[in-house]
Amino acid sequence: MEGQIIVITSGKGGVGKTTATASIGAALALDGQRVAVVDMDIGLRNLDVVLGLENRVVFNIVDVVKGKCKLRQAAIKDRRIDNLFLIPASQSDNKDVLTPEEMVRLGEELHKEFDFVLMDCPAGIERGFENAIAAADEAVVICTPDVSAVRDADRVIGLLYARSITPKLLVNRIDAKMVERGDMLSHQDVVDVLSIELVGLVQMDDQVVVSTNTGLPLVMQKNSKAGEAFCRIAMRLNGHPDLPIEEPRTQKGFWKSFGQKIGLKN
Amino acid sequence: MSNTGQGTSYMRLRGVGDSLWVTLDPTQPEDLLQEDLTKLFGRLKHFAFQARVILDPGATHGHDDLIENLGTFLKENFGVGFVSGPPKKRSADEEQSRKRDVNRSWKHRRSEVLILAGRVRSGQKVTAKKHLLMMGDLNPGGEVVAGGDILVLGSMRGTAAAGQPSNEDAIILALDFRPTQIQIGGYVAAGLPCSPGTVAEYAFVENNAIVVADYLKANPFKRLPWPEVR
Repeated sequence: MEGQIIVITSGKGGVGKTTATASIGAALALDGQRVAVVDMDIGLRNLDVVLGLENRVVFNIVDVVKGKCKLRQAAIKDRRIDNLFLIPASQSDNKDVLTPEEMVRLGEELHKEFDFVLMDCPAGIERGFENAIAAADEAVVICTPDVSAVRDADRVIGLLYARSITPKLLVNRIDAKMVERGDMLSHQDVVDVLSIELVGLVQMDDQVVVSTNTGLPLVMQKNSKAGEAFCRIAMRLNGHPDLPIEEPRTQKGFWKSFGQKIGLKN
Repeated sequence: MSNTGQGTSYMRLRGVGDSLWVTLDPTQPEDLLQEDLTKLFGRLKHFAFQARVILDPGATHGHDDLIENLGTFLKENFGVGFVSGPPKKRSADEEQSRKRDVNRSWKHRRSEVLILAGRVRSGQKVTAKKHLLMMGDLNPGGEVVAGGDILVLGSMRGTAAAGQPSNEDAIILALDFRPTQIQIGGYVAAGLPCSPGTVAEYAFVENNAIVVADYLKANPFKRLPWPEVR
């Protein structure tokens, strides 16, 4: 059975595409799937750092496409998680070095080698985006609850529909307190505008910064709310679409308040 | 009045639609008129039975009693079904409206309305030659442009330009009216305050400015006597 290629995209930069790619990829691999995460941000690669694999990069995706190496040579195996592979981007080329046709050919090869291939799409809707979605079977659009991210996500959704790809929505960095105060859009507001299937909600979590800086995937961190959310998202993508979506809420109650007062909990 | 050949007759009989239209001279005595009616309806024989009869005294008014008496006479003697005076003429205003309505009949008119269902997303632009009807939402960053009116049966959050390039009579209507910017003809409005709750609102040009109002309360077309092609 051939694997599936899922592009993680957003339109806007800085909404958490790379973190989501690394986290969902790691969660799927922990679940026993053979997973490749592909950094499509040619010239600005980051996924290797987030996964803590930057010192093992020898070949990259451009080398594979141009025939300088084989796919298995470029795919870096993660030593902590079996079945997780990284195909890094080139840091010295620009995005025009690849074409969508070349990516479709690479996609055929990736389909055969892996159960899941997660493409970390660059920001924007130019050549880098075109390359990332060229071979994709599915798409996950990441959107943070702010007006500019919603608008860019909406644009990307239109472009994906135009290429017969039905996207799913992941709302990232939800701050339940700000939503309650009315200072932040709620996930319902985002879903209302974008009007596509919701695949998961991820709340704001300081552990993301720790994960990015240490190179330890978020789903391997203990007590990470975002990591747990990404695990559930991976399960939904991996044949459990009906898994209930947990809404981020502020914790209330006597014991929470008491714990905060005596300094037991944050 | 026509001559029947047996003397002077003071009435004339015509078939009008499904009725028998009898024009008579109301200045003549009633018995003379009854005599003439007997001659006319006697010749009709069974065709008069249950017929609709209109007794027309001509341009003069105030002959209701005469019409009622002659009607009773016809019903009793010839079994006619229904007798009345001529239908009243419409007022000049009403006649004008009806004439205009007929002139602009929509029956054979080709539609100049672009009807779309779905969602206009950010970065997408829809242009209609005349009116545009959107059954769906206009998202922020989306744009709709029309030569006539723009009606959005959904949420309007993007940019809408109606009456382009210079039709200031155009309106922009949305069930949920929260546009980023609207244009009507050459007028532009932005940063419109949100109304409390969701009510159907519409924008129009008044006194060289764009005004937004509750559509159901304002009901801008209520004064039109007949449906008009817009």
